[in-house]
Amino acid sequence: MKNGFLVFVAAFVVLGGSWCAFVLAPELQLGGAKQTSVLNSSDVYPVQRPGDATLGLQVYRANGCAACHTEQIQQSGMACDLVVTSMGKNRAAFMQAMGEIGDLIYKNNPKDENLEDIVTMNKWKPGDPVRLPVFQNITKEIAAAASDKITTAGGKAEIHINATGADISRGWGLRHSVAEDFLYDYPVQPGSLRAGPDLAGVGARLPDANWQLLHLYAPRSVVKDSVMPPFRFLFEIQKIGEVPSPDALNLPEEFAPPAGYEIVPKPEAKELAAYLLSLRADVPLYDAPFTSLAASTNAPAKKP
Amino acid sequence: MSDEKKSCPAPSKAEPQAERSHLPMWILALTLVLLYLGAVYFDHHGGWFDKEVYAPYASADELDSYQPKSGAAAALAHGRQIYEQVCGLCHGVDGLGKPGQAPPLAGSEWVMAKGVQRLAHIPLTGLTGDVKVKGNDWNMSMAAMGAALPDADLAAVLTYIRSSWGNGMGEVTADDVKAARTAIGAHPQPLSGEQLAKMPE
Repeated sequence: MKNGFLVFVAAFVVLGGSWCAFVLAPELQLGGAKQTSVLNSSDVYPVQRPGDATLGLQVYRANGCAACHTEQIQQSGMACDLVVTSMGKNRAAFMQAMGEIGDLIYKNNPKDENLEDIVTMNKWKPGDPVRLPVFQNITKEIAAAASDKITTAGGKAEIHINATGADISRGWGLRHSVAEDFLYDYPVQPGSLRAGPDLAGVGARLPDANWQLLHLYAPRSVVKDSVMPPFRFLFEIQKIGEVPSPDALNLPEEFAPPAGYEIVPKPEAKELAAYLLSLRADVPLYDAPFTSLAASTNAPAKKP
Repeated sequence: MSDEKKSCPAPSKAEPQAERSHLPMWILALTLVLLYLGAVYFDHHGGWFDKEVYAPYASADELDSYQPKSGAAAALAHGRQIYEQVCGLCHGVDGLGKPGQAPPLAGSEWVMAKGVQRLAHIPLTGLTGDVKVKGNDWNMSMAAMGAALPDADLAAVLTYIRSSWGNGMGEVTADDVKAARTAIGAHPQPLSGEQLAKMPE
């Protein structure tokens, strides 16, 4: 072959280059992934799944769940909430700061509903109940500037960071997925098609094993218009013995077995449900930070 | 067909030969422009292959700027961390105390007092002798475990103790701790339960 050596070298470079980019580089980047700590906490994340949930991952794989479900949450940006926790003693200075913050937010977004809070504050008279304002969906820069103004005026404010994006507003999760979420998955099944909802946080969203079992046996018994096929072969129909099985499903009439029979989950169904409950990518990490308003209920009460 | 058979085939042209030619200048220029644009895009979005930087973050600096640094939740988490290192061994990470080691903090009337001065004194001076906690008598001795902590850290621990495990009491500020430290002076002696009870809350 003419120029055979040149062709060989060129092919080697092209294939070797792709191998480096798609195999070697990810391995160098994430190959050493290990447990990490939860943000502002001494807890570690993730923890190894319990045994039945580990078996359930193989049931998930065997039934091709990943063909219709993803396990990866996407995030498009960040938004901040500024929660005023104290007005301080200097009411005039605080009101002035509120006015300045109103200007700041109005400049950024002239239609902002946050302004209502400021207007309400302005009408406040001594003796009225105090409803401290919460400014939502503002940028980090504005939140920091506003927080500075409140602190200078003697008040106190907290900045909360929230993930934004379509998946987050669907309630599927609180942050984007990271490599650590899959640390104990073998094989990793992130999925690529969403005929059904994302499952990365399903254990946090629907933490009831019984609900999961009902949904596997007859999806429409719990979700009216579900397009998920029923996985009845993971269950057994059996005659009710002397006492009903404690595992028997409590199905609505439409889906219930004939009288005298009961539906009990096979071990596979229980394992799959345990696996689904173990899917909870809902803690803040360094590489996926957030602080939710819900988390602040643990905040200290006001000083007596 | 028969006519064609008789005629001689026309002599075919020579095989076409590949020849080398110069690379057009515009391809070179286009490649360089695309490379440049790619590099700029990577610069703005790539995060330099940092394993901790995911979309939508563009760089480690941007990710860092979104870490919660202040606020009550962060202070509480800080207090919890110190509590588990310093206090949790005896008082338990659940605040329930351990028989023969330390009385409970969860629901303790000493922790849930209105004022914080008595509470702030305990880790600064230590406590010895009889003390009644939740109706039980304890006779242990506690060293001044918190004396070496900075005011802000000790305040964070006390805030954590007062607001966790259903105690639901308020914040302890660094100023409160400072006031207690000033009151104690330079040579702290372990307080007894009696002395503590005589102190104003």
